[in-house]
Amino acid sequence: MNRRVVVTGFGMVSSLAPGRETTWAAMLEGRDGLGPLTRLNLPLEPAQIAGQVPLAALRHQTLCERMALLALEEALDGFTPPGDPGRIGVFQGAGTSGLPVAEAYLEERMAGGRGRALEPAYQTPCNVADALARRLGACGPRATLMNACSSSLLALGQAWERIVAGELDVAVAGGAESLCRTTYGGFSCLKAVDPRKCRPFSRDRAGLNLGEGAVQLLLEPLDRAQARGATIFAEVLGYGASMDAHHPTAPHPEGEGAARALAMALRQGRLDADQVDLVSAHGTATPANDGAECLAIRRALGPAADAVSVTSTKSQFGHTLGAAGAFGAAAAILALRDQVVSPTLRLDDPDPLCDLDCTPLVAKQRRLRAALVNAFAFGGNNVSLLLGRWSGA
Amino acid sequence: MTPQPTPHGPTDLVISGLGLVLPCGDGIEAARASLASGRPCFAELPEALGPGRGAACTAFNPTGIIPPMQLRRLDRACRYAWGAAHQAFLDAGLEPRSLGDRIAVAVGTQSGGSEASEAFMRPYLLRGPEGASPLIFPNTVANAASGHLALAFGLKGPSATFVDRENATFGALEQACRWLRLGLVDAALVVGTDGLFPLLLDLCGRAGFLARHGDPVVGAGTGFLPGEGAQAFLVETRASVAGRGIRPRATLAGLACRSAAGDGREDRAEALAASAESLMVTSPQRRIGGGNGRPNLDVAEARLAARQPQWPAALHPKQLWGEFAGSGGQLLAAALLEASPQVLITAPASAGTQFAALLEEVSGRYGIISD
Repeated sequence: MNRRVVVTGFGMVSSLAPGRETTWAAMLEGRDGLGPLTRLNLPLEPAQIAGQVPLAALRHQTLCERMALLALEEALDGFTPPGDPGRIGVFQGAGTSGLPVAEAYLEERMAGGRGRALEPAYQTPCNVADALARRLGACGPRATLMNACSSSLLALGQAWERIVAGELDVAVAGGAESLCRTTYGGFSCLKAVDPRKCRPFSRDRAGLNLGEGAVQLLLEPLDRAQARGATIFAEVLGYGASMDAHHPTAPHPEGEGAARALAMALRQGRLDADQVDLVSAHGTATPANDGAECLAIRRALGPAADAVSVTSTKSQFGHTLGAAGAFGAAAAILALRDQVVSPTLRLDDPDPLCDLDCTPLVAKQRRLRAALVNAFAFGGNNVSLLLGRWSGA
Repeated sequence: MTPQPTPHGPTDLVISGLGLVLPCGDGIEAARASLASGRPCFAELPEALGPGRGAACTAFNPTGIIPPMQLRRLDRACRYAWGAAHQAFLDAGLEPRSLGDRIAVAVGTQSGGSEASEAFMRPYLLRGPEGASPLIFPNTVANAASGHLALAFGLKGPSATFVDRENATFGALEQACRWLRLGLVDAALVVGTDGLFPLLLDLCGRAGFLARHGDPVVGAGTGFLPGEGAQAFLVETRASVAGRGIRPRATLAGLACRSAAGDGREDRAEALAASAESLMVTSPQRRIGGGNGRPNLDVAEARLAARQPQWPAALHPKQLWGEFAGSGGQLLAAALLEASPQVLITAPASAGTQFAALLEEVSGRYGIISD
């Protein structure tokens, strides 16, 4: 079996605006969701900026779980479940997930307190996938991928694989991420956090801002989607994954591994490089990433790279780590639908090393047939997803 | 839920290499001896881990395998994964660098990254940014092990790290098989790895998960004891292995999973049974189960035993090596240690997906045997 797979629903919980369409409209207007860090009390950290969602964790629900469920509700608009719940799968990318709960417990124990042990014991990373599956009544495969910053894009790729193979009729895939002290302090000590708003692809880029949020996508085989008259946002054509085997945290300086992931996605989708019009980039705004990523795009696309538009959602949402790939996919899907590329904000002074059209400052209307989405991660993990415009064919 | 029949029988995928770091010692022979003796490996834990009993890999010896400079930067889960992978490549007679991007790595873990998270957070909470270590932070991600394995062995193909409570390694195995069947790689290294650390032990103890009196007994409902370790499995096509003159350790004849829609033990028991029964095994020669001493998992195993009385009684390796010790990888390892025409493995979990796997033509070979 080799079925075509389409996106028939998706929901977003972002720091920029509530819901998918309002978030997209704000992105096209050039607004960002970055602001003063208030969720975490870290007065000694030099950077005090983040992309925060105006929600809080509940008594028995982590913020990740809450955001994921909200995003799922939006994704399920008009959804009809298949008759067999064993044909519904859930694939989640996670970064920190239940870590804030563990941090609170550790802090209380270090202070000599008892702490509520049951909370961190039960708030494991797979809780989000379990919660989504419960909401859907899903009995099919369920996976929590923790590939750091490429987690949710890998989750999308795995969901696609299962539907292509005929194993599933529906998959929910995506990711959720909330701010926590470990990642904030960690990226800060790596000197990877910019105390100002981040500037992907800029000459003076100085690091990332951290963000939070959730994106959930509903994937179905084309025939099922058409049979139930579903709205089709885009087609998922393939994905690629690779390891750099170069450095624990830094990307390969020439984007060697990332280029292989991009090329693999193109091969799986049976597209030529000149059929791709958009790259929704990892674009973290760290000095190491952006130049290497642009080189990777050039390596993979060759001369066609000069014609692609590149954009980075990190300039709107900050780096949402485990959810970042899903945010990048969301931007690409909406761009394909509306034939407009969301801008890379604060790109006043492009780095000559990033010599692609990185869509500075304002949205750009153009023909978009297919898009690549990138997510790269610690450990030299690279994932690229290939999406196609849905034109009713 | 309607169980979906999963056709099985000799397939094109085999396990060609095995590497083990377990509380009973390093390597296949230590594990075989442990399994044969039936003696649990639980003892008072090393002081650095805190008070309590468990199965720690105190005999783990990375000398000559992990360079000392690297060793200092790795947490326990990464060290064990490296040691097990080293053994698995030797066992399979494969030089991984020769495969470049044609070899994948898939890791399953329950706690990967958490030991480093605790090590990072303790000084950070006390001293703020001054206490934050840029050397520790990169290991706080669950996929730290796969990154280190890629660096150590030159693995450049796809990578995925699965996190689940007790059986994530079966998710990793499933993904590895998919990449192989799609022709994206020629080999896949599947690793289950977990390391003990003080916060985990504190949490499990205070949450009431741990057996307080004596060793865990499946079905007794008194709790489990913690363990650690790593298991590495090299998965390849039969043709690839034959080309090197290596006798496979086993054929992967079937892998099935079902999830429970509800949260209850009964739901999960039903899902585990549906998963195992979908493999359509009538009389496996051996059964390996995932019981650990807590009702969460033991009820599912008991239910399955009652539904399939013709199946042999299951051996539960977690009674010897503890829970966490590879997130289900220890079950797959135990299945490979004794020659058998057919071994059925069930890997229940306290949430999420319930797995079952079927191995055939298990060679139980000692060392590397060429045909």
